[in-house]
Amino acid sequence: MNRLRLIIFREWYTRVRRRAFILGTLLVPILMAILVGFGVWMERAQMEENKVLVADLSGLISYWDEAREAWVPACPDCFPERSHLEYRFAEEALSDDDFLASDYTLMVLFDDGILQHQTAKYFYDKSPALSTESAVENDLSSAIERFKVKEELALNYEAYKRLKTNVRLVGEDVVTKDGNATGRTLIGFIFSFFMFIQIMVYGMHVMRGVIEEKANRIVEVVISVVKPIELMAGKIIGIGLVGVTQVLALTLLGYIVFQVGGISLEASGLLTAASNEGLELDFETWIASNDSLGFLLDVNWPLMIFASLIYFVAGFFMYASLFAAIGSAVDQESDAQYLMIPAMLPLLASYIVAAMALENPEGQVAVIGSYIPLTAPILMLIRLPLGVEWWELTGSIIGVVVTAYVLVRLSARIFRTGILMHGKKVTFRELGRWLRHD
Amino acid sequence: MRDLPALNIADIEKSFGAQCALDGVGFQVPQRGVFGLLGPNGAGKTTLLRMLNGITAPDRGSISFFGEPISREHLKSIGYLPEERGLYKSMRVGEQAMYFAQLRGMNKTDARSKLRHWFERLEVDGWWNKEVSEVSKGMAQKIQFILSVLHEPRLLILDEPLSGFDPINAQRVRDVIADLKAQGNTTILLSTHDMGSVEEMCDEVALLNHGKLVLHGAVPELREAARDGRVEVTFRDTVMEFTVALGASAELIRIEEEATVTGERRALLRLRDGTDQAEWLHWISGQVKLTSCALWQPGMREIFIQAVEHQGTDES
Repeated sequence: MNRLRLIIFREWYTRVRRRAFILGTLLVPILMAILVGFGVWMERAQMEENKVLVADLSGLISYWDEAREAWVPACPDCFPERSHLEYRFAEEALSDDDFLASDYTLMVLFDDGILQHQTAKYFYDKSPALSTESAVENDLSSAIERFKVKEELALNYEAYKRLKTNVRLVGEDVVTKDGNATGRTLIGFIFSFFMFIQIMVYGMHVMRGVIEEKANRIVEVVISVVKPIELMAGKIIGIGLVGVTQVLALTLLGYIVFQVGGISLEASGLLTAASNEGLELDFETWIASNDSLGFLLDVNWPLMIFASLIYFVAGFFMYASLFAAIGSAVDQESDAQYLMIPAMLPLLASYIVAAMALENPEGQVAVIGSYIPLTAPILMLIRLPLGVEWWELTGSIIGVVVTAYVLVRLSARIFRTGILMHGKKVTFRELGRWLRHD
Repeated sequence: MRDLPALNIADIEKSFGAQCALDGVGFQVPQRGVFGLLGPNGAGKTTLLRMLNGITAPDRGSISFFGEPISREHLKSIGYLPEERGLYKSMRVGEQAMYFAQLRGMNKTDARSKLRHWFERLEVDGWWNKEVSEVSKGMAQKIQFILSVLHEPRLLILDEPLSGFDPINAQRVRDVIADLKAQGNTTILLSTHDMGSVEEMCDEVALLNHGKLVLHGAVPELREAARDGRVEVTFRDTVMEFTVALGASAELIRIEEEATVTGERRALLRLRDGTDQAEWLHWISGQVKLTSCALWQPGMREIFIQAVEHQGTDES
């Protein structure tokens, strides 16, 4: 046991102290934060600069205000005051030179035929951001809509707004009484995707570790002290723990970035700016008030985390033992390619099914896949947030654990023979012989 | 009472598929001293050494370690330096040495103090904190050697321990082996193709070929037994003069073309059957300028080649 602990520690420690691991782990959340921050900053920077001149040749959405001695919108509500977008109106367009000499960033031409062709041409010095273009489009559409309602239909706009109805579908599971299946499926997919990446990346680490140990010719010394199965188990557990360490580090860093980012966003006033009503919001209230994030409260997080841990441990043992056996059978990584195919197939298939299950998580393929031990670690996780029967979950976990145990035993048979073989191209038939050899 | 043998290898058989690696091999390795395990490539030596280390098991036969059936429990008392050896490149020298010492069951304090001693003795003490990737091949060999002797094993298995060393470091390692032998606490099983080392260090040898034991015994006795009437002479004549003088009196097996600085040449002869050695010596001394004459004693190299070729002839 003590020797197994030593091997586990060596495998774990020599990897987590590598510069590449530390940088990779630290940089991911920091880079994400930087990217998000940069995006917000860019958005803000671009929004602040926009001053739009609406050349209303049609006269449909603006009129001359004697008191203010300026062209003003017929519907001021349609052009709300925003820090990033300012409108001015005119009855004529500026010449190109005048436009370039002015402080306008955009000039929209509203000609007489606007009601017919519903197209307004705009001119710019620097191409506007998509969000700016979209905001101007919305504002002008709403102004035209207001004009049509009032002038063509002779309706009161407030009455019109009351008549206008958008039906929103809200689902509810008749058994669990939970709603918003799409959001919860997305959570399941994120867990599945992460499971796929972790098993794949760290499974490959196990294979490379075995090949390296074999190529270094150190393995003979090691297995003269420990049993091959101890070496294999130590390697799998040690490298698996590297994956767990990375997840924990990312979670912690993610939490810190989330908190620090929230405080920064609050302090910057961006959240207030992002609020439609111009309310002063703190970060948590902003998240809570966001319709698209509300489903987070419906997910059974303790069950998700517990099941993910079990599926990761068993699933990782299952695949990593296969990768270890493959690594032991070859002298270099390039020789492992064709042996990898059968081991990778169920993993890749389960990822593809998981991606398809985003559309229909309760589909037959996803359900059957969540019962098959080799695909269950990924496919059960996508179903889990939507609620599965206890017997499905228990049966699937037992299946995965038993399969992992069997595969570890079988892989150990290949490992103990392969690890001492050099210079021999191994075939599937040869692997079969090693399996039978006691 | 005679000591129990360090190893009693009895009637070992091992096959890999259709290939027979060891076929009824049996011999004893006495306690203390240096025992040579010899044989050409593919003779089955590595398979046997792996059995002693618990890496593989025999299909038939048994191995006793100081009187007890060998088991994984005995691995703590065995040191092993395999021919195919390496170190983890991603670790520092010191931490790697500590790792292997602890794998061998040593505690940290003991391991550290013994490592310091061995690092000083083999002059690698300045390398403790270096990455293995920075270490030269010879330095790595010394570290590997240290890892095999560190835990003071009762049986030390060395497979080609001198390969890769320069003459100075090879001598250092020879000295360590000689010291371990002199201390008498360690039995050394030496597998090598370097017959000079065998003659210098080994007390007994076993020679394997095609998975069979073809020769076993004490080195002096084997050499003595291998005498076959050949005579080695040195002379101060030219090769032509010596050959003409020898005539048909003896079969010329080997002659050195180049003379030494003293003008001597060496030749190996086999006298015709029935020739009286004393009379022949008296006669030849009158024909050439003979400076020495002695019955030839074969070295381990000749014994090795003869035994392997002899078995090959028998089998064909």
